[in-house]
Amino acid sequence: MFACLYAPPPPITADHDPPIEPGDALMSIARDFSPRIEAHGSRLVTLDVSGLDRLLGPPRVVGEELRRTAADRRLGVHVAVSASRTTAALIAQGRAGLTIVAPGNEAQALAPLPLTLLIEGSVVSAVPPALDAAALVTTLKRWGLRTLGDFAALPAGPLSARLGAAGAVWQRVARGEDAGPLVPSMPDERFEASLDLEWPIDGLEPLSFVLGRLLDPVCARLEQRDRGAAALHVRLRLVTRETHERSLQWPAPIRDPRALRTLALLDLESHPAPAGVDRIAVAIDPTPSRVLQFSLLARARPSPERLTTLIARLSALMGENRVGGVGLLDSHRPGAFDMTAFTASVERSPNTSATRRSTAGGTISRGDATRALVDPGVVTSIARPSETPDPPAVTETDSAGLRQALRRFRRPIPARVSVEQGRPVRVATDRRGLAGGRVEICVGPWRTSGDWWRLPGTQQPLHSARAEGAAGGAHGRIDQAGAVPETDGAAWASDTTGGFGVRGSAMAAVRPSSAPAVRAERAVGRPTDFAWNRDEWDVALSDGVAYRLSCDRDLDRWFIDGIID
Amino acid sequence: MAASAARAHLETVLRARKLDRTLTTSLPVSPHDAWSHAPTGLPLVDAQLDGGFPRGQLSEVVGPRSSGRTSLLLAALAAATMRDEVVALIDALDVFDAESAKTAGILLDRLLWVRGQRLADSSIIRPSLTREYGGFQQAIDRALKATGLVLEAGNFGVVALDLADMPEIVVRRIPFTTWMRLHRLIEGSQTVCVLLGTDSMARSSAGLTLALSNTSVWARPRSAPAGRPLGIGPGSPFGHSHPTTTGLFADLRIDLRVIRARGGKESSAPCRLTARA
Repeated sequence: MFACLYAPPPPITADHDPPIEPGDALMSIARDFSPRIEAHGSRLVTLDVSGLDRLLGPPRVVGEELRRTAADRRLGVHVAVSASRTTAALIAQGRAGLTIVAPGNEAQALAPLPLTLLIEGSVVSAVPPALDAAALVTTLKRWGLRTLGDFAALPAGPLSARLGAAGAVWQRVARGEDAGPLVPSMPDERFEASLDLEWPIDGLEPLSFVLGRLLDPVCARLEQRDRGAAALHVRLRLVTRETHERSLQWPAPIRDPRALRTLALLDLESHPAPAGVDRIAVAIDPTPSRVLQFSLLARARPSPERLTTLIARLSALMGENRVGGVGLLDSHRPGAFDMTAFTASVERSPNTSATRRSTAGGTISRGDATRALVDPGVVTSIARPSETPDPPAVTETDSAGLRQALRRFRRPIPARVSVEQGRPVRVATDRRGLAGGRVEICVGPWRTSGDWWRLPGTQQPLHSARAEGAAGGAHGRIDQAGAVPETDGAAWASDTTGGFGVRGSAMAAVRPSSAPAVRAERAVGRPTDFAWNRDEWDVALSDGVAYRLSCDRDLDRWFIDGIID
Repeated sequence: MAASAARAHLETVLRARKLDRTLTTSLPVSPHDAWSHAPTGLPLVDAQLDGGFPRGQLSEVVGPRSSGRTSLLLAALAAATMRDEVVALIDALDVFDAESAKTAGILLDRLLWVRGQRLADSSIIRPSLTREYGGFQQAIDRALKATGLVLEAGNFGVVALDLADMPEIVVRRIPFTTWMRLHRLIEGSQTVCVLLGTDSMARSSAGLTLALSNTSVWARPRSAPAGRPLGIGPGSPFGHSHPTTTGLFADLRIDLRVIRARGGKESSAPCRLTARA
C-alpha cells in the first residue's frame, strides 16, 4: 500500500514572489510515517505505508492522519492512498483532498483524469526516454483522446506498432500499473560521534582509549556504507572552555579505526591540547571507497593507506618537513631542493632517461653543468638547471657507470684555508673528524652567485631591470666561445631563470653586498639564505678525502660544503 | 651416521628458517634473477655480487671517506627506481644531495627521504664529548627507529640507512640485536636493506659486505702539467685558459672488495671501478 503527498504550487501573487518549496517539510512529514520514502521533486513524495494499518487502521485513517499532520505543520497537501504508487501519485496530483483507491480499481479511478497529468507527474522514472511525455500527449490529443481512460482503452498491439515499446509503457502508467519498485531516498548520513567525559583527561594514553571508543562504531558505519574517511576532524573541548581542533586529510580514503586513531594520536602528539579535555567529538568526511586492482605482474608497492600512516609516524619522529619526496628547484643555488609530498608514484617521470653518456674532455660537467670555470676578465654565466643533461645509460663499454656523489653539509663548515698564488694549499677546521690537511690536488675555482637581487626574506626583487634603464633587459649569457656579450654596466636583468652575466668592469656596481640589508646579514659571517657570491673548489687533501670548498667573496671566508664520496 | 644425521637435521632446520642460502649444498642462485637480487646497475659490481644485493637480507657498503660509498649507494637506488621500485633513504645526518641523486639517475618521485637532524654547530666546534656524542646518539637512535618503521611498512625495493659520518664510537654502541630485528623485518621479503658506514657494522647471514678501500687514484686531466696544480695557469689569479682542464676530478677510482659473500665465495682481488664526474 502506498500513499502520496502532493503540495500544489500556490497561486501566483501580484508581487510575483517565488513560491516557497516545501521539499524538506514534505520529507519530514513522510519520514514520520515511514522510513521508505521516495521524493519526486520538491512537491511530490511517495511513501510505503504497508503495515500502518495495524498501527493506525484502514487506509482512510492513514490518509486522514497524513492530512492532519500536514495541516498541523501549515502545509496544504493532496493525499492519495492506493495499492499502486503510480496511481497514488497521479491521483494526488489530479484531485484535491484525500482520495482512497480500493485495490483493483486503479484504472477506473484514473480514467477521468486528463492526459496532461502524464506531463506534470514525475513519478514514471522507469519509462524509457525514447518517447517524451509531451510528445506523447500531443500525439494522443491529435488522435482525439482527452483522458487517461481513453488512452488506457486503446488496444496494446496497434499502439505499440505506432508508438513503440515506450508507448506501451506509458499505457500501463495510464492504467495505474507500477513501472518499477519504490527506490527509497536515503538521508545524508553524518559520521560523527562525541563523548562528554565525567572528569577531564590529560595525556595521550587516556585520549587514545576514548578515540578508539568513538572511532570504532563510526568506522563500522563507514564500512556498511562502503565509504572511507577522506578527512578526520577531532574537536576537543578544554576545561578552559576553549576548543582545540585538529583536522587531518589524506590522499586516499581510510576506514580502519586503528589507522585513524594512530594518525589522530600522532597529530595530537605534535600539537597537544594546552589543557585538560572534558569533551571529545570526532567527525569524518566520507568519500566513496576505492576499488584497487593490483597487478600480479608488477612489483608490490606500499599501499596509500600504509604510506600515509608511515609518513605520519616518521614526521612525528623526525619532525615536520623532514620526511617526504625531494624535488630540485629551478634555481642556480648549489644544492637547492624542496621537500615534496611522497606518493610512491608509479608513473615514469618524463624527464628521465635510461641513456648515459661518458664525460667528454672539455665539457663542463658535474652532471649538472651549473658551474663554469672562471676565465680572467670574463665571468661566465651559469647554465640553466633545466639544461641539465639526462643521466647517461650504463653501456657495456662503460667500466662502471658510476657518477660521483657529494655528501652536502646543510650548513657549510667554516674552514681555515691557506692560499698561495690564489689557490688553496692547506685546509683546517675545528670540526671533529675533519682534521684537514695539505692540498694534493685542487680544481677550480668556479664562480657562482645569485639571488642578490631579492630583498632579504622575500621574493621581491631588489631592483628591476626597467628601473635600471635596461633596454629590454640584458641577459648575460655565455656564448659558445665562452664570452659574454657586451652589456651596459647598469643594464642587466633580474632574470631568475636564465643565465646571468656581467662584465668584470661592471661587477663593482652590481656586487650583491651593495644592498644594505644584505651587507648587514652577511656581516655576521653567516651564509645567507637568499644571496650568494662565491668561488668553489674541489680539493683532495693529503688524508685522501676530497672536499668541496667554497670561498665567500664578500666575507672572504672559506667553508667546506661537502665531501665527495 | 650420527654426524650425518645431525647434519641433515641441521640443514632441515636452516631451510625451515630460510637460512639455506648459507649451505654449501644449496642450489646456486641464478645471477640474472631480479626477483632474488637487486642489481646495482653496474655490470662489474653485479658480476661480483652474483646479480646484486640479495633481497630480504641486510647488506652493507663500508669504506672511508671519498672511497665511493655514496656513489655506489646512489647507483643502487637509481637502478631500483628504474625498475619501478620505491626506495627509501634514511639520512641520519642530513647530508643527501638531491643534485647528485638526479645525476646518478634516481627517479626522485620514487625516493622517500627521511632527513635526520643536523647537529648544531656548537656541539661540534666546541667538542664536549657528552654533548656531542649525545647529539650523535640521538640522531642514530631516531634513524634506527625510522628504518624500523619503513621496513615494517614493507614493499620498498631498497631501504638505505646512511650512517657514514657517524663516529665509530657511537656506531659501536648499537646493540647487535638491533640489526637482528631489522633483518627479521625484511626476512623473506623483496626488500633490500643496505647500511652505509665507515666500518663493518652488521649484515645478515646471507647479506653482503662491500668494502671500499681508500686507495682511490685521482686522475689528473691530460693537459695538466706535471707538478702543477690542476686548473691553475701561470700568472692567473683565478683560472686557466685551457678548455680541457675542466670539471671535477675526471675519474674517481674505487677499489671494491666483496667480503663474506654467499656460498663462501670471496673476491680475492679488488674490483676497480671508475666514478665519473
